[in-house]
Amino acid sequence: MAVEADGRPGPPLGQGLRVVEVAVDPAGEMAGKVLGQYGAAVVKVEPPGGSPTRRVGPFAGGREDPDTSLNFWYYNTGKRSTVLDLPRERPALDRLLGEADVLITSLPRSGQRRLGLDPAAISGQFPQLVVCALTPFGQDGPWSEYENSDLVALAAGGLLNSCGYDDHSIPPIRPAENQAYHVAASFAHISIFLALIEREQTGRGQVIDLAVHDSVAMSPELANPYWFYPKAIVKRQTCRHAQPTPTQPAIFPTLDGRYVYFTLILADIKPWESLVEWMDSLGFAADLTDPAYRELSHRQANFPHIQQMIEAFFLIQDADTIYHDGQGRGLPIAVINSPDDVLADEHLRARRFFETVEHPDGTVAEYPGPPIRFSSSPSVPPAAAPRLGSSPAGDLW
Amino acid sequence: MPFYGSADRTPRPRGGPLAGLRVADFCWMGVGSVATRLLADFGAEVIKIEDRVRVDMPRRLPLYKDAVRSFGQEVTDPDPNKGGLFNNYSRNKLGVTINLRTERGRRLAEQLISVSSVVTENFAPGVMEKWGFTYDRLRELVPDVIYARMSGYGHSGPHQHYRSYGPVVQAASGLSYIAGLPGREPSGWGLSYMDNMAAYYNSAAILMAVWNRRRTGQGTEIDVAAVEIGVGLIGPVLLDVTVNGHTTRRPDYPTGNRLEHPHAAPHGVYPCAGDDRWVAIAVFDDEEWAGLTKALDNPDWAADERFSHQEGRYAHQDVLDGHIAAWTGGRDPHSVMTLLQSHGVRCGAVQDPRDLNEVDPQLAHRGTFFEMDHPVIGPARFEGFPARMSGRGPDHWRSAPLVGEDNDHVFGQILGMEEAELSELREQGVI
Repeated sequence: MAVEADGRPGPPLGQGLRVVEVAVDPAGEMAGKVLGQYGAAVVKVEPPGGSPTRRVGPFAGGREDPDTSLNFWYYNTGKRSTVLDLPRERPALDRLLGEADVLITSLPRSGQRRLGLDPAAISGQFPQLVVCALTPFGQDGPWSEYENSDLVALAAGGLLNSCGYDDHSIPPIRPAENQAYHVAASFAHISIFLALIEREQTGRGQVIDLAVHDSVAMSPELANPYWFYPKAIVKRQTCRHAQPTPTQPAIFPTLDGRYVYFTLILADIKPWESLVEWMDSLGFAADLTDPAYRELSHRQANFPHIQQMIEAFFLIQDADTIYHDGQGRGLPIAVINSPDDVLADEHLRARRFFETVEHPDGTVAEYPGPPIRFSSSPSVPPAAAPRLGSSPAGDLW
Repeated sequence: MPFYGSADRTPRPRGGPLAGLRVADFCWMGVGSVATRLLADFGAEVIKIEDRVRVDMPRRLPLYKDAVRSFGQEVTDPDPNKGGLFNNYSRNKLGVTINLRTERGRRLAEQLISVSSVVTENFAPGVMEKWGFTYDRLRELVPDVIYARMSGYGHSGPHQHYRSYGPVVQAASGLSYIAGLPGREPSGWGLSYMDNMAAYYNSAAILMAVWNRRRTGQGTEIDVAAVEIGVGLIGPVLLDVTVNGHTTRRPDYPTGNRLEHPHAAPHGVYPCAGDDRWVAIAVFDDEEWAGLTKALDNPDWAADERFSHQEGRYAHQDVLDGHIAAWTGGRDPHSVMTLLQSHGVRCGAVQDPRDLNEVDPQLAHRGTFFEMDHPVIGPARFEGFPARMSGRGPDHWRSAPLVGEDNDHVFGQILGMEEAELSELREQGVI
């Protein structure tokens, strides 16, 4: 099969879709960005002075300016920017919404009120419009006026409880870089297309009341079923699944000062054979070649010893060597790549995943490309995030 | 707690925006099953194809009501209808069994594909091809078919055959590295975050293709690689590397619960009363700081000149965090959350799954969790959908299928097979 990132015929899948985005956090911004990655026209409506996300670093070249925030650049590729002072300039917004398919708002309830953006009222005014209202906790209910941040959302939504170190004197540690908002953005993507599919049948839009809180709360993976079924509460462990009872470490330091992730599935004989063969090929299998280890009970009884052997085996090799040799033997093992390492990854290079983006100031840099590849339609390489107010009102689509 | 479904498990016409969409679902394990669960929730007729001999792994993983077992403590010879994780992943789906290692089984699968319009799979690249299920062949059967292929590394490139599951994808894509305290090993993730995120992206990809087909009549093959989704989730720090040439391979990175950008402080997770209980607090500006100090009843230490502006608080986080922790230490995380939020401070109890289910009044108000009955497991709880849709919402009609529960319905009613043929297939071990 040959699905390439470019060179496919026809228009991008989302071409013709018109999206208006009013967002003060990465949840709505990421949702707008994703729609743009598949060809939708996305107009970002910003207040005078620009979106607050333009004031978040890091900044290009360390120079603080509304047009140099890398935070803004990351979440706003492929969009157009227009400045509207809401609610004063509501008529201009209404003209945009009258021609749009989707409105994404990503505001706390207080922000919705301040800007006069009540989702139900807008939907009543523009029945064709899909209104996706992202809020911290939902449109109503006892916590609906509460505000969040990524850290607060991960905490309240239950995901943070599973993350951190074996040492529980250390608090749970946040998985970095706005992942609560990213989870919510993926549900915005899903629910917007559910609503667009429905609109194809009924001709009507609708209101999507999407809570960041609920998005996170349904995403802690095993933690929820462990409560649903045995009523167990999983406990965080260093860089591996939180479990009801402690399990063996899964990350191992390597010769070059990095780490690899590996969990030996003890119950299966095949990975065991692959591992021992691999260790033996470097003269490191020692007693593990003993046929007694073919019995699960023997492996279980000697698991601490096996783990020590694995630890030593990885400590004498480079992380990349372990990754590729182990995978070559069919073992699910990975190097813990830094963002720097990811950019050099030969697999992602071969799939032409990264795209070069030219910024308004003439500089260029690589960005991740769209992760969904349709054989029927080309994807849209990212275009640089817009300068503040760079698209004049009246010429936005 | 909303309760859905009825004692009658006979398949019925579905509601929801995807009603009428039939999916031949070859998915197994986590990513694929969660991706197609979304389709089933919203009304698609998802026909999950299983192998009676090698049942889906979530049927075997040890999530049972009656015993607490960590992964790695699987029971031998488990009852495949008792597994909670399978129930969680495959609610609202129909279940059939087909032995795809037989020629007759593969023909039967083709018959099923022929009456479907979406085909989903998340095997290692090459497995579907080995059975003859190429995109070209599927298009012969269904000209406008949507063929959704979900894998760890995608269907091209030098690592396409690498084995993966959530933690491997997280490690390889950079998401594990960026979480942790400076100067020590990464804390990474205590879950298969990327199983969820890859599933959500795959659901969205299929919905986009369905929407596009309704407008243009055009089908598509979809290639989604979980590692690429993962890299796309790294966040702005990736541009700090590509634009600014900064490295993340440095001793003061990552920064634990503290933020490099913006300069929020306090910004952390603080101890509370009880065993391993915590609360998260995030203060981004002077107004929120004023709310915090008011909530704490203006303690003397808060008047410290170093804390009078955001940069000062950021520069003196160690001292500041000590004061905050001393205050939270004797308190209940939810009462801290309620007090601080009422003063305009962003704050959240670190909720565990029991809190989400038994304490959180907001999730209860929105009905986010719900229950359905299951013939072997009994009443079971599920995560719902995080949005309330004013249009057609989810249609929860039945818990997960028993092994081969819907063979008669699917092969008999949908494919129109006679009982004689069905019993022959049963005897030959094809279904």
